[in-house]
Amino acid sequence: MEVLMSAIGFGIVTASILAVSSVGFTLQFSVTNVFNLSFGSVMTGTGFIAYALNTSGISIWASMAIGALCGGLISVALNWLIFGRFIRHGISRFGMVIVTIATGLICDNTIQAFVGPTFYAYNAQPGKAFDLAGMLLTGQELIIIVIAAVMMTATHFGLKSTRLGAAMRGLSVNASLARACGVPTRRVVAVAWFASGVMAGIGSVALFLDTSTFAATTGSQFLIMVIAAAVLGGVGSAEGAVVGALVVGLATEITAAYWNPELKDVVAFAVLILVLLVRPQGMFSQLSSERTAVG
Amino acid sequence: MSAATQLYLATVSVYICVNVIASWALDIQFGVTGVLNFSFIIFQAAGAYTAAILSLGPSSSSGGFQQYVGGWRLPFPVPIIGAMVVGAVLAGVVGLVSLRRLRSDYQAMVMLVVSVIATIIAESQTGLVNGVAGISLVANPMVSLIHATRQTQIWIFVLFCVFCMAVVGVVMYATVYSPFGRVLRAVRENDRAIEALGRNANRHRMQAFVIGGALAGLSGALLVEFIGAWAPNGWFYPETFVFFTAVIVGGRGSLTGVAVGAALVGVGVQQAVEYLPITLNPSVIASLEWIITGILTLVFLWTRPQGLLPERRRRFPAPLRPDAPELAERSAATKGDERG
Repeated sequence: MEVLMSAIGFGIVTASILAVSSVGFTLQFSVTNVFNLSFGSVMTGTGFIAYALNTSGISIWASMAIGALCGGLISVALNWLIFGRFIRHGISRFGMVIVTIATGLICDNTIQAFVGPTFYAYNAQPGKAFDLAGMLLTGQELIIIVIAAVMMTATHFGLKSTRLGAAMRGLSVNASLARACGVPTRRVVAVAWFASGVMAGIGSVALFLDTSTFAATTGSQFLIMVIAAAVLGGVGSAEGAVVGALVVGLATEITAAYWNPELKDVVAFAVLILVLLVRPQGMFSQLSSERTAVG
Repeated sequence: MSAATQLYLATVSVYICVNVIASWALDIQFGVTGVLNFSFIIFQAAGAYTAAILSLGPSSSSGGFQQYVGGWRLPFPVPIIGAMVVGAVLAGVVGLVSLRRLRSDYQAMVMLVVSVIATIIAESQTGLVNGVAGISLVANPMVSLIHATRQTQIWIFVLFCVFCMAVVGVVMYATVYSPFGRVLRAVRENDRAIEALGRNANRHRMQAFVIGGALAGLSGALLVEFIGAWAPNGWFYPETFVFFTAVIVGGRGSLTGVAVGAALVGVGVQQAVEYLPITLNPSVIASLEWIITGILTLVFLWTRPQGLLPERRRRFPAPLRPDAPELAERSAATKGDERG
């Protein structure tokens, strides 16, 4: 029981990090219909910006906030410089996936060329450990969970009850109809990219705190987990991404505790493949296959 | 020529052959049939591991410093054939999971995940293919086959690779430009239309997938028998991207184009970076290769998405309009036949 509870505790922390990231990934996908495989690079980039701020004496949480804003700007810049242009250039859906991968590789390796193959760590104290019904969580981990919960609630109400959220949902259902109804498409798309970058930033700093060390490839390695959580829930569905993140987070940590820590990711991915065998569109998604990318 | 120059030239030749075969394998899946196979590299890896295990003998034979499942010492062409079979079977299994009624980019994500799973399993289950360290000491088959100097043996292996590439090339031409190849291209262009004509698009995707898997296995087998070692850090999922770049730069669906792309991207970029007149840290060189490959892809997708040597599109004469004089003549003629 003790093992199970502590595994659940770790699982919730992993799930929180994963939820923030995969909601960012899926939100941008639902609005623009672009599978952004450079998301991991945005995470790594913001992680290192936060590192630069953190080592110059700023507290880790302030670094996280500033890093997240930078992440939003990087993400908007990538769309403005590369993705949006390729979409308006009339690139195919395949082409777009390859464009995002290429961009991710370029960004990752540029970061790698500057920071080298070494590992880095933030200057932050994990804080006192709290015992919550057998789950031993540090202060840092509790803050991460709270941040994730706040972000999720804000996203939910933002999407459901603001005009911007309605515009985003409209774009995700039918972009040309939304445009015909007077939705400023370009601006809403930019906001979606910004939100996705902010969540990538928060997710990356939380992830790098959780893993305690990080390198230029950590973000892109984590991207596979983000994709697993997002696809599991049904890409494009924010609620789905949260559920997907919980399933992946708990499955990995419980596997690590009871079976083999090296195989924890494999179990998460196996769950994903099993779900897709039964429900190819993911748990919650009702996306049509006819949508085209919006830039 | 000095021995070092010869070895260098032989290595470059083998890499070109292997890359051309692998890029053709990806081309029949992605270029011709339109399946975004992001797990491509694991088929090459499976071929390489199979060839290694089928030629090394039991793992205890080399003092037990490396561990792997099975281990047989089979005569020359058998490990390579085994590698093709394993590549094809693995492609069949991955195809069964991912080639379903998913959107093409969903399929790509599933394959990406499969590729990562394969790496994690190979790295963590040390008994399978010797984990992170990888398998080494794979002998060049020509060493035991032909009694000659080391140089000659190496060059005979190069000739064997060229021979394999030529055979694969002939088979690819016969496949891609046959009625079967036309069906594959139709699946890529419009899978609904092809289903309306009574064809099962997924079955054709699966066929292309399995053919590509077998050829990828062959490329891995040739490479491991030349370089002698194979480890997980040589087949992380981004490595697949090198072959995608080769296909895009060369021209999707064009066999000649893809061969040129494979030589340029798979070998050319690396060699160009090695000979840069500035001295760089080795890790920066590796990064630079990736950056150049990425930029090359973006530039080609923007300026020349059809590639250097585009696929030839067959053109058919336009259908005759109902009021065209030829048609009036022809219908007059048929009417005449009926009357007669």
